[in-house]
Amino acid sequence: MSAAQIRFLTLVRREVNRFLKIKRQTVGAPLLETFLYISVFGAALGSRIKELHGFDYVVFVIPGLIMMAWATNAFSNNSSSILQQKFQRAIDDQLSSPASPLELLLAFSLGGFLRGMIVAILTFSAASLLVDIPVDHVLVLVPGLFLVGFFFAQIGVLIGVRAEQFDDVSTAQTFVLQPLIFLGGVFYSASLLPEPFETMTRFDPIYYMIALVRYGFLGYTETSIGLSLLLLTLATFALFAFNLRLFARGYKLRA
Amino acid sequence: MSALRITDLIKRYDTGVEALRRVSLEIEQGEFFGLLGPNGAGKSTLIHCTTGLAQPTSGAIEVFGHDAITNYAEARLAVGLAAQELNLDWFLTVEESLDYHGGYFGMPRKERQGRAAELLETFSLIDKRDERTRTLSGGMKRRLVLARALMHRPRLLILDEPTAGVDVELRLELWHYVQRINAEGTTILLTTHYIEEAEQLCDRIAFINHGQIVAQGTSPELASEYGVVSLEDAYLELVGRKELSRARIESEVS
Repeated sequence: MSAAQIRFLTLVRREVNRFLKIKRQTVGAPLLETFLYISVFGAALGSRIKELHGFDYVVFVIPGLIMMAWATNAFSNNSSSILQQKFQRAIDDQLSSPASPLELLLAFSLGGFLRGMIVAILTFSAASLLVDIPVDHVLVLVPGLFLVGFFFAQIGVLIGVRAEQFDDVSTAQTFVLQPLIFLGGVFYSASLLPEPFETMTRFDPIYYMIALVRYGFLGYTETSIGLSLLLLTLATFALFAFNLRLFARGYKLRA
Repeated sequence: MSALRITDLIKRYDTGVEALRRVSLEIEQGEFFGLLGPNGAGKSTLIHCTTGLAQPTSGAIEVFGHDAITNYAEARLAVGLAAQELNLDWFLTVEESLDYHGGYFGMPRKERQGRAAELLETFSLIDKRDERTRTLSGGMKRRLVLARALMHRPRLLILDEPTAGVDVELRLELWHYVQRINAEGTTILLTTHYIEEAEQLCDRIAFINHGQIVAQGTSPELASEYGVVSLEDAYLELVGRKELSRARIESEVS
């Protein structure tokens, strides 16, 4: 293994090790939260709603919950990890190493991406024990989920780098991301909303991410899957390029 | 070839503060070099520019001939930094801190394990190897910061106030260790507020004030340049506090 490979794997290992050391908080808590959503919306609400577009209500919401689990964990892992290391100045150890801006950015990104993936897989496995979840279009589902995970990993990195206090991270999560995710149609179908809410939902970028994942699982969609995939790919790469520029400049990382 | 060559280095922060003003400095291979100056003089900024923690506004920095800005990977491989702050990762154990640092510098696992064991022994950290860094005492943290800086066997070791706040025993231990590795060929750049430390350890010393190197030489050369009898008095002249000179106070008392 080359020195560069060792370096990159160590950077990733550090990020994974961090969230595994506090796995009750980083993996257990989100898993419980998703399980509670399934219980409340599936058992309690689902018994009244019965079916949505031909699917049991609980089956209809599970794809969105899986996407939400991956997205929020990718975001919160990266934003917290970077901010904590900035606070402790422990990040100086990585910054003064021979690691390039690209290596650093990819390693920080992968930490949250992998945490999100673990929580999403566990959520899917646990939900599969309770209900039968179809996987209709695996070739849309896998790239769709990977793109969503990587997109939110980039948002997490961006907020972590910009943040100067923990309030900055929680503000972004509570007042921007959570509302966008909840109003993006995790728990309902936009086509059932009265105007102007249906149109407003279609301006929410998260709506298209949920649509992608829901299509991957259920084969049901209200949007163009090809266009959603294309736009998500472009947005993810644009964000990655922007973050890479920040890392290369040392923005709020190097004095 | 010099271990460190800094030419016309300027560092201006976004706030407009000019922390370094055309600093030029050359440290020879194998030298033990001291950097003395009051708080805010620019010592840490100079170190941060050398190690990549700060980005110079202009000027050049070469570490063993490698440009620290354009060829930063090679330059950083040659440098070990024991920072002034106890900047340890709270999520890691003592041994992991060394292991990860070695990994960041591309050391294979077997080499990391051997080197970490050696440093844990040297710095009396063996019993603490599995403890999280946040549970360590201040002295133990300081030992670990120094051990971590040495993990990848740097040819240039930068010690930013390594003995600030440590007890006498640890200070002497650190002195003996750094003197030993210097004798073995490691170049050392030391910043300190302790004049006797610089006097005891350093071959040459530079005074830095208001972001400029104002004088450099051996301890007697500096004393002579300021027309005083000791390095301490030369330093007091530098910071404009010559009334605190021990020689002056003694003569006034007698």
